[in-house]
Amino acid sequence: MAEVKLLTEFYHLPEYQTLAGYKAKGGYETLVKALKMQPQAIIDEVKASGLRGRGGAGFPTGMKWGFLPKNNEPRFLLCNADEGEPGTFKDRMMMERAPHQLIEGMIISAFAIGSNKGYIYVRGEYVYPIECLKKALKEAYDAGLLGKNILGSGFDFDLDVYRGAGAYICGEETGMISSLEGLKGQPKLKPPFPAVQGYLRKPTIVNNVETLAAVTYIVRDGAQAYRKNGTEKSAGTKLFSLSGNVMKPGNYEVPLGYPLMDLIMKEGGGMKPGRRLKAVIPGGSSAPVLTAEEVAKANLDYESLAGLGSMLGSGAVIVMDDSQCMVDMLGVLTHFYAHESCGQCTPCREGTGWLDKILHSILEGRGRLQDIDLLIKIADNMKGKTICALSDAAALPVLSFVTKFRDEFEFYVREGRSKVKGTTYAEMHH
Amino acid sequence: MPKCTINGKEVEVKEGTTIIKAMVDAGERIAHYCWHDGLSVAGVCRLCMVEIEGNPRVQIACNTTITEGMKINNTSEKVKEAVKWGLDFHLINHPLDCPICDQAGECGLQDQYMEYGKYDPEMAEPKQKKKKVVDLGPTVVLDSERCILCSRCVRFTEEVSKTNELGIFNRGDRSEIGTHDGMPLDNKYSLNTVDICPVGALTSKDFRFRQRVWYLKDAETVCNGCATGCNVKVYYNKEGFFRVKPVYNENVNGYWMCDEGRDIYKFVNRETRLLKAQVRSNSGWSEMPAGAAAKHAHELLKTTSGDSLALVLTAQYTVEEFDAIVSTFVNEFKTKKIYFWINNKETFDNFDGILLRGDKNPNTKGLLKVLEKHGITATWNDLSQGLASGAIKTVVVAGPENQAVFPDFHERVKELSKAQNLIWLQAGKNEALMSLTGNVWLIPMKTFVEKDGTFINHAGLEQKFKKVTTVVSEALTLTEAALLMSGKNLAIPTAQPFLPLNQRPDQVELEARKKNEFVFRRGSL
Repeated sequence: MAEVKLLTEFYHLPEYQTLAGYKAKGGYETLVKALKMQPQAIIDEVKASGLRGRGGAGFPTGMKWGFLPKNNEPRFLLCNADEGEPGTFKDRMMMERAPHQLIEGMIISAFAIGSNKGYIYVRGEYVYPIECLKKALKEAYDAGLLGKNILGSGFDFDLDVYRGAGAYICGEETGMISSLEGLKGQPKLKPPFPAVQGYLRKPTIVNNVETLAAVTYIVRDGAQAYRKNGTEKSAGTKLFSLSGNVMKPGNYEVPLGYPLMDLIMKEGGGMKPGRRLKAVIPGGSSAPVLTAEEVAKANLDYESLAGLGSMLGSGAVIVMDDSQCMVDMLGVLTHFYAHESCGQCTPCREGTGWLDKILHSILEGRGRLQDIDLLIKIADNMKGKTICALSDAAALPVLSFVTKFRDEFEFYVREGRSKVKGTTYAEMHH
Repeated sequence: MPKCTINGKEVEVKEGTTIIKAMVDAGERIAHYCWHDGLSVAGVCRLCMVEIEGNPRVQIACNTTITEGMKINNTSEKVKEAVKWGLDFHLINHPLDCPICDQAGECGLQDQYMEYGKYDPEMAEPKQKKKKVVDLGPTVVLDSERCILCSRCVRFTEEVSKTNELGIFNRGDRSEIGTHDGMPLDNKYSLNTVDICPVGALTSKDFRFRQRVWYLKDAETVCNGCATGCNVKVYYNKEGFFRVKPVYNENVNGYWMCDEGRDIYKFVNRETRLLKAQVRSNSGWSEMPAGAAAKHAHELLKTTSGDSLALVLTAQYTVEEFDAIVSTFVNEFKTKKIYFWINNKETFDNFDGILLRGDKNPNTKGLLKVLEKHGITATWNDLSQGLASGAIKTVVVAGPENQAVFPDFHERVKELSKAQNLIWLQAGKNEALMSLTGNVWLIPMKTFVEKDGTFINHAGLEQKFKKVTTVVSEALTLTEAALLMSGKNLAIPTAQPFLPLNQRPDQVELEARKKNEFVFRRGSL
């Protein structure tokens, strides 16, 4: 097996960024087809394709659309391009290389769910992707692909780009909705779910960039063709952002179910000379870490990774070789979550900070042996206790790092320095 | 009406009831901070965890609506563990400065820790430092380190006062309550935020550091600050009254009261009160006991003809008192020259849409009802004319308890002092009265917390209240003054005045306290 370029087929062409270049490769032809279909037929097709949300949670897209109320209430389609999960950079490439692909996917999806207004909520730091999107939106409007009466179909759809303000939590769909509403980016209490009451209290669908882009191909080729790639429960292809200690980091589109080891060794070009694989975070920083032995058994699909106690998440594969100190690595993660917790729910607000303080006490040589168990206890009690999943996202890496690499933590506490690097925190970082 | 089982007890609830509401109503104990029945659901403290049969995860009771057949419990080990840790997360950055915290003794953290605490603190890291003694506005001070970010105060300013002064700034464990620059917490309901703050983060500038709450007793009464008649609790001890807080009444004030009403304790305390009767004759002022002064006034009144005698009433007394004094004047003194002193005519009908009314009297409706009953139709103009022409020689005035809401006080004193004899009944001291010349009787009256009675509020709702305590023991009620002025004696209470020590109601309470029993006071949250 190797890469299957469905979405990324023409990403190497610079002109694919423009409307002309995109159209030259068959762009917007699917839109023409879709606008002649019954909206429900598109939803059915997406359901049949087995497409699951590519943002991280992996929720079946067709089912999500099905939660919308069956009436004429105005509704919104929001594209979640607040790609903040550490290790993930696929949406960025998609928006830079093929902004029209996303726009086409969004028009088709909006047509299917009956929405006349959409927003693309882009991570604030993504200045260039926003530029690309804005340029593409203008082209699309000028060509009558957006706005009133699209291609004479009678369907109206307006689409705007909204630039986020740099909070990780705004990648959580209700946090994103709050932010888009002009409020502080904090997740909302569920129920009600966005499909019932979302943006401006109207029914709202939030989908990831890659999910929306994939819709076009499902409509173009049909659900069955889409299903040819991937596994029974994890259908289609997915973009993986490979990073860390590999020779060729980057975005790779492979069918779901692809062996993780192959992605690292073949697509990623393997480890640096003389280095051995130590651990992999397979789905963005929130996913529990896998040891080298577990990596050998892992396939890149939702079920295989769940079976190993981790998750596919956003598809950010972070590779660590044997030069990495796991205590130091975890310190980076706990700091990230302590910084990004929105501060609403007590277990997360206080727990993320507490975890980070303990980790840094250990790193700076002030750790106590009981701190290792305390980390586990705190993380355990943060899990599943909050409005959104950030608390879990902070807890899971701690639990997996500490249980799987406990010896490194114990060594660090006893010796005040890294077992792997042999140096103290100050020495490691100067 | 869905039926559910809560901790094994079958309960029937209204459609749409949340689990926490049903549990609180059913008298079940459930830990919580952010939930408040008068505010929207925030679901952030994560303490009101319950287990619902068929659901593997514990979930919050405040955002879960009861459905038919739901089996709910919050006594399982899983729930207890979750609550214990939830509470500990609240405490890791809390300064635990209870000995110097004003909330100590009525603090949600203290109370709930007794019941749900982990009793094994494991936080060994330095705590977050946040702003202390933040001046939020004219009434409230914030200590951010004590704050548990339940967001009740923020939701209050959003949803109830609709003034939106407060917000939560920053993120994660750096989050702090605050106001925007130049936009202080300054509204007529601001002190409710102090009431609903479950910890010592928000404290009232008026009350802080003045009393430890365990040295205060409390009793329910009706606010006499305006015609709304909010149900309130007054807090007092031997030294006087210290604060007023609202008591829930669905039909009157809900959970809230205004800041003006919080000041009503001030004119009750001894410092502002007339402690002895002051009687002025040609030879100058002399002091005498209130009862004696009233009897002294009787000597004058019994020889006064009804035509030359007038009574002026403010709507600040109880229905019972109005009835007593009006009856006395109509039947004993044979006069119908009885006048209603309206303090702020122009703003009388104002209403701010929440609680505050322009009519700053607690019992205007009550007074009007009594006047009507006795067929009194006299107007202030008649009085002015009578005074100007000298036809009215003696005036008895039931002056205002709350002088602050009588902007025309001095003017009226001046007008009424045209009478030869002025008998002024009033609870509080006033310079204007002491500088009067001629024949004057100043007789101290009891305030609303010192008597039983009824107020009729703006909506015609009769609210009875009980005597709280006595501040000025010598002062009279209007009823007593009417009796004494008409030459009668006061009835001596027939109830046994001395109870054996072990039967006194407060003794029982004391013994419970001696046992040091923890009483979970849900009401205080």
